[in-house]
Amino acid sequence: MGAKLKTFADLAAVRASAQARKTPATTVTMCCGTGCQASSSPRVAEALKSELASKGLVDSVAVRLTGCHGFCEQGPIMVIDPANILYCHVKPEDVPEIVGKTIRAGEVVERLLYTDPVSGKKITREGDIPFYRAQDRTLLGQNRWIDPSNIEDYIAIGGYSAAVKVLSGMSPEAIIEEIRKSGLRGRGGGGYPTGRKWEQCRAAGGDEKFVICNADEGDPGAYMDRSVLEGNPHAILEGMLIGSYAMGANQGYVYVRKEYPLAVKNTRKAIEQAREWGLLGENILGSGHSFDVEVARGAGAFVCGESTALMHSLEGKVGEPRPKDVHTVQDGLWHKPSCLNNVETWANVPLIINHGAAWFAAKGSNGSTGTKIFALTGRVKNTGLVEVSMGTPLRRIVYDIGGGAYDGVAIKAVQTGGPSGGCLPAAKFDLPVDFDTLAEAGSMVGSGGMVVMDEHTCMVDVAKYFLTFLQDESCGKCVPCKLGLERMLEILTDITEGRGRPEQIELLEDLGDTMAQACLCALGKTAPNPVLSTLHYFRDEYEAHINHKACPAGVCRALIRYAIDPSVCKGCGACLKACPHKAIRGRSKEPHTVDDTVCSRCGICKDVCNFDAISVC
Amino acid sequence: MQEHIALTIDGARIHAVKGASVLDTAMEYGICIPHLCHYPGLSDIGVCRLCIVENIVGGKSKVTTSCTLTVAEGMVVRTDTEKIRRLRRNIAELLVAKAPNSRAIQDIAVRCGVTNVRYPFQNDKCVLCGRCVRVCGEMWQAHALGFIGRGKDRRVGFPFDRKPDYCKTCNTCIDICPMTITPCIGPMKKGEERLCGGCEGQLTMTKNFTDSCVWCKLGEGFQCTRHVQMAGRP
Repeated sequence: MGAKLKTFADLAAVRASAQARKTPATTVTMCCGTGCQASSSPRVAEALKSELASKGLVDSVAVRLTGCHGFCEQGPIMVIDPANILYCHVKPEDVPEIVGKTIRAGEVVERLLYTDPVSGKKITREGDIPFYRAQDRTLLGQNRWIDPSNIEDYIAIGGYSAAVKVLSGMSPEAIIEEIRKSGLRGRGGGGYPTGRKWEQCRAAGGDEKFVICNADEGDPGAYMDRSVLEGNPHAILEGMLIGSYAMGANQGYVYVRKEYPLAVKNTRKAIEQAREWGLLGENILGSGHSFDVEVARGAGAFVCGESTALMHSLEGKVGEPRPKDVHTVQDGLWHKPSCLNNVETWANVPLIINHGAAWFAAKGSNGSTGTKIFALTGRVKNTGLVEVSMGTPLRRIVYDIGGGAYDGVAIKAVQTGGPSGGCLPAAKFDLPVDFDTLAEAGSMVGSGGMVVMDEHTCMVDVAKYFLTFLQDESCGKCVPCKLGLERMLEILTDITEGRGRPEQIELLEDLGDTMAQACLCALGKTAPNPVLSTLHYFRDEYEAHINHKACPAGVCRALIRYAIDPSVCKGCGACLKACPHKAIRGRSKEPHTVDDTVCSRCGICKDVCNFDAISVC
Repeated sequence: MQEHIALTIDGARIHAVKGASVLDTAMEYGICIPHLCHYPGLSDIGVCRLCIVENIVGGKSKVTTSCTLTVAEGMVVRTDTEKIRRLRRNIAELLVAKAPNSRAIQDIAVRCGVTNVRYPFQNDKCVLCGRCVRVCGEMWQAHALGFIGRGKDRRVGFPFDRKPDYCKTCNTCIDICPMTITPCIGPMKKGEERLCGGCEGQLTMTKNFTDSCVWCKLGEGFQCTRHVQMAGRP
């Protein structure tokens, strides 16, 4: 590594030399994000390095281990440049073939190519994959070019140039004005205008201020913050550095969950490097501005994603929200003005400074600008991290990027915004995904979770699942949230178990509205969303459960039973052997029957039946 | 010297002491806002949510707890709108369904206009108002009681569930607990719980409860203005 950088010119020189560094003819990019690590990408990388060494290719082939590319279901992912060939599901055994054929001979290993589930065709080049092509990967796309443990990679793609721009001549007011003009809104869920928040924090008096990065991402199925922090930690540090200068803060914290060990490791390493290079610390690049960042690990409470709870946790207290009659920009961490922004919000800041507010504002729809990363999961063909301009219709995300229904069962709804978001029905798929439209429709952008559900999903059961999650994760401090969630769950359990009464629908709505208005924090206020939105759009399902004691999707165990069609059943005995409760009767080669009194409705028999003779009714 | 500021509560122009909470100010002026977790002299944590009011800022109403809301010049607060009454009634209903064996909570439910409890009664003993925890820590500096657990497991207890040496056995936690006074009809057994409403019931079990006061058991402890006035009568 180089010596500590003391002036802006030093950084420019480092950048020039990093860019001019002679790169070998071939670069192999290996995704080592948490998703690909789980499918053993480090072992593939290891095998690749030793294979290259044994073939004497170390000097002519560069290996870059990067953060998440977003297409985790295809992991481990390997991209070979300059040909831009993408291999998926790469195993250590495949490495000799890849080195032998592709790297040395320039041939393509057909069997490792990605198969588009929609067209069924093999696709060679990364850029041709529909999943990537339909996205606008402004933020996430950077991950592909950066080894998060190497600050030079980030500097080479223009990193810290926004910091130089602000430190060398922009006034704090001009920075805030630029952010305000860009229309950037908080990516953590609330959608509060970032420029306004910064302005208020700057205006708040006091000798000491803090900037905080909220990386306490806890929504089930959502991992965009983790991927950005793991793959590109310097972007967040640069964003925070710019924010600290604009607001007059000298200390920052990155609050990240303990469950994200790689994010913690990479961020710590990035901070260490930035300090060594003089991009954090006293008198950064001779500008007179001092700023340092520390990593704080959260102990895994969902509620600590709420700003005041997070600050309590940072102070070493129990992570519980407090009333926000005085905002955290005036009275935050240790009662000092504090500006808390989400990972994605901070990561967008350098881009806005570099490219200008107009560039950022040009993306997106009215009121919501820029791009947003969503975690697309559920019953679609392609799942993973999806970055699109704000205002992209839901249909485009689900069908063009997601590839549509997973196994032909019609898609019924999309749950957006994590556990406290709402479910939108297929009829609303033309809605543009932006903060205001989704809020109006009874859901929210939230942190960006997107779960696709098909006709085999019971919406009452979904609401119950999310409520159970929220009840586990509620701090239990305020009455409407603690007691309200308990009662709501009690009613939903009644409904799914066949004890529902018609008047309970109205009670759910009344209670939901009370919680939405009277709870202490945003978690409680949004907690009834899963129930209220499903009640709004899928009321017929609730009514079927209550009035007809039936679960249309065939999910709620108390309301369904399994039956064997005697005309189809061959009496093979597969179900009889598989049933853990011995609920299936019948002689060999004769149609079997299910004993309802013993059956636990686990559905194993249906899965093992070779003749599709078992149905839910 | 005390500074005063002017604000409007329920249409009345009020001069409040700067730095005071809206709840304290309203109570001082005889505007009763039902509340449970607030206790004079202790910090306010805004957990019972009964003292919610509408704070009207720039034409928009914001529902917030009055105990944690500090008075500000020109502030406009409504404590008794249709919306607030409905929300408060629903919260009181949750409380009384959780702990029907507290006279204080029964009184509050009546005061807030609960006439029918739509949930099965639970007959629990604690609603986690946190008065005991705060009085122990803040008034006596003993810190012998605290909240344990999170969410549905949250409860009040001693550290590691063993009475520590630094508990001074002062029993203030018991005195201050809204659960220690049972309804007049006596403790209700499991399965026999009901909305009591016996106290001053005729006054309050009507739809129009706005102006009614049940002279609640809680008010006695709060130095509720009306309570003090009535008690002072010959």
